[in-house]
Amino acid sequence: MIQKKICMVGMYGTGKTSLVQRYVHSIFSAKYHSTVGVKIDRKTVEVGNETVNLLLWDVEGRTDDQDIPASYLRGAHAMFFVADGTRRDTVDQLFDLRDHARDAAGDVPSIVALNKADLQDQWVVGAQETSKLISGGFHVLKTSAKSGEGVEDSFKWLAKATLGSPPSATDNQQVRNAR
Amino acid sequence: MAHDGAPGAGSGDRTNDVGVRELTELRDLLFGGERRQLDELRRRLDTLEITPEELAEKLPQAIAQRAARDRQLAIALAPTVEAAISESVRRNPHEIATAIFPVLGPSIRKAIAETMSGLVNTINRAIEHSLSVRGIRWRIESWRTGVPFAQIVMRHALVYRVEQVFLVHAETGLLLAHVPEDTEADADLISGMLTAIGDFVNDSFEPRHTGELRGFAAGDVTVLVEPGPQAYVAAVVRGQAPETLPSRLQTTLETIHLQWSNPLSAFEGDAAPFATTRPLLDECIETVVATDQPSSRTGWKRFVWVIPVALAVGALTWWATSGGRRWDAAIARLDAEPGITVVRSERAGGRWNVSGLRDPLAADPGVVLAGMGIDTTDVVARWEPYVSTESALLLARVQRALNPPGGVTLSVNRDAVVARGRAPQAWISRAETLAPALAGVSSVDLSGVEPGLPADMESARAAIEGERVLFPVGSAALDDAGRAIVASVADRVKALTDAARRNRYNVTLQVVGRTDPSGSANENLALSRRRAVAIRDELASRGIAATMLEPNASGSADPLPATAPADRARINRSVSFVVQARPLSGPRGPERVR
Repeated sequence: MIQKKICMVGMYGTGKTSLVQRYVHSIFSAKYHSTVGVKIDRKTVEVGNETVNLLLWDVEGRTDDQDIPASYLRGAHAMFFVADGTRRDTVDQLFDLRDHARDAAGDVPSIVALNKADLQDQWVVGAQETSKLISGGFHVLKTSAKSGEGVEDSFKWLAKATLGSPPSATDNQQVRNAR
Repeated sequence: MAHDGAPGAGSGDRTNDVGVRELTELRDLLFGGERRQLDELRRRLDTLEITPEELAEKLPQAIAQRAARDRQLAIALAPTVEAAISESVRRNPHEIATAIFPVLGPSIRKAIAETMSGLVNTINRAIEHSLSVRGIRWRIESWRTGVPFAQIVMRHALVYRVEQVFLVHAETGLLLAHVPEDTEADADLISGMLTAIGDFVNDSFEPRHTGELRGFAAGDVTVLVEPGPQAYVAAVVRGQAPETLPSRLQTTLETIHLQWSNPLSAFEGDAAPFATTRPLLDECIETVVATDQPSSRTGWKRFVWVIPVALAVGALTWWATSGGRRWDAAIARLDAEPGITVVRSERAGGRWNVSGLRDPLAADPGVVLAGMGIDTTDVVARWEPYVSTESALLLARVQRALNPPGGVTLSVNRDAVVARGRAPQAWISRAETLAPALAGVSSVDLSGVEPGLPADMESARAAIEGERVLFPVGSAALDDAGRAIVASVADRVKALTDAARRNRYNVTLQVVGRTDPSGSANENLALSRRRAVAIRDELASRGIAATMLEPNASGSADPLPATAPADRARINRSVSFVVQARPLSGPRGPERVR
């Protein structure tokens, strides 16, 4: 059994905690966010014959990347960024966030969940932004806490990526097609 | 070759040039090889530069040779090595720490253990003086088993259970191993949160990054964290963790760092290689309960030691408490003594100390204590004099001051003194004068004292003074009747002196000789003297002390009264007796109330 440390990072209000809530094993309550600033959950993913336990460090979302303690990001095997598809600023911030994460954890696989995919009428992230993210090295997925869309896929990709499987280009392609 | 000829010389010069060239060629042919070697050597001597290849070849040998010769190499290198190390530490402390961690840990632990040992000894000494029941029990156990007292205290006082031990990868917070196995399904989440909390503490308090989280406690549960460069151990302890636990955890962690060095460095999330650390971690799991001290001894043998100890303790206790009890009883007796007030009584410096107030007329405290079985050589007493108004002391003081004769009895009613009996008028007058000056006495009632001698003396006096020895006319010779009277008087005088001694009177007996009126006065006086002396001698011959007999010649000047004139002449041819008694002056000597 393999364990991997995944850091979940996103600006305040992107809904990252509720995104994974239904899909992870959790023993710590949400109040850890407001106290310690991080809450750790577990997601078990099967990759081939391998069982991977993703230890999700759900770091408290704040308004500024400087607020995210570097020590929480240290040693992460992959980064799970969450942005709000209905708020452009949360997408624009991703590059700064990623740089901050790189300083602490090095260049590790990174995925971006463009959340709130169920709110199509308010959606502001266009193909241009998506392409920019992909070319910036992010794996991009659309997710919805409401429908559960993209959540399991995100974890699968993270498990594969941390095991050393090269991120599949077709996955990104799917997002582009979905647009 | 040198050409000393001046420039612009003629054809002779040209011929010379040809010669020189030929000579040079010849020389090259003969010595060319040697000359090139000489040039190369000269070049090397001039430059003295060594190529890196040459240096690499010679350096190890050179260092070894020089180091064997003297310390110059070490002295020369020291500043550079120091600078290199400090630069390395500045740039990447982690590397150095990782490298020396397995070596440094035990040294530091040893140093700390030595310090702690001194501290424990100090505490041990402090505890030695605690005489709680539990402390004594533990001390007996220490004595019985030969285990140091401090360890016994630990064993009893510290009750704890190490419930879980986590081995956690320091950087990622991922769980490497956990014991007991399968007891905590979420050990991986807990180890992650432990790491996060450590980070949180490190990030939250100034100055930042001061060190690692070493533990925290919540209620009965303590989590002890022993940090290492690549992994840390966390132990969940219920109860009071012993001070040895952190060092045990540290040892375990050092062993893991040493033996699992490669898996730790290569760790990428696969905890499988660390399954083999579990036996090490298991050694940290333990439960210590105060009461479960299994013993190989069984039955009564376990308690054999109780008997001599109980006897010894009993004897010591009896000895200690009986001494104390006897002293307490003696002090109570002393305090009850009239005229003695005990203010303080204590055992100090191995002796009994007692102090208080004592009326000078009160009993001797030493005698009282000795009477209660106290060894007075073991007592330090300090008494301040005072005047007691207790009845017994008041009475003693009045007795001492008034010195009443035997016929007088004194009694005390509160602070009033009442005197009864018979006493000479002189004493009554003196007592009336002295009474107002007596300390603590409001009044002395002397109305019950009649002037006179004590009753036993009075009867003897009356009997003696009622006798008279008659003589024939003109004679001082005693007849048989006279002798019988003198014998009777002698007996009564003896009774009187006995009574006087009892009543502390001084008595004298005047032996008064008389004559009838006939004859001249001188003759009569001489005759009366002869009569008095004759009776005195007769009394003295009957055992009466001559010093108390005073012959007194009255002649016919002081006749005894008689109703009939014929009788007057007869009864005055006689010797009669007058008893004179006065109380002995001066104090009665030390007055003891008891």
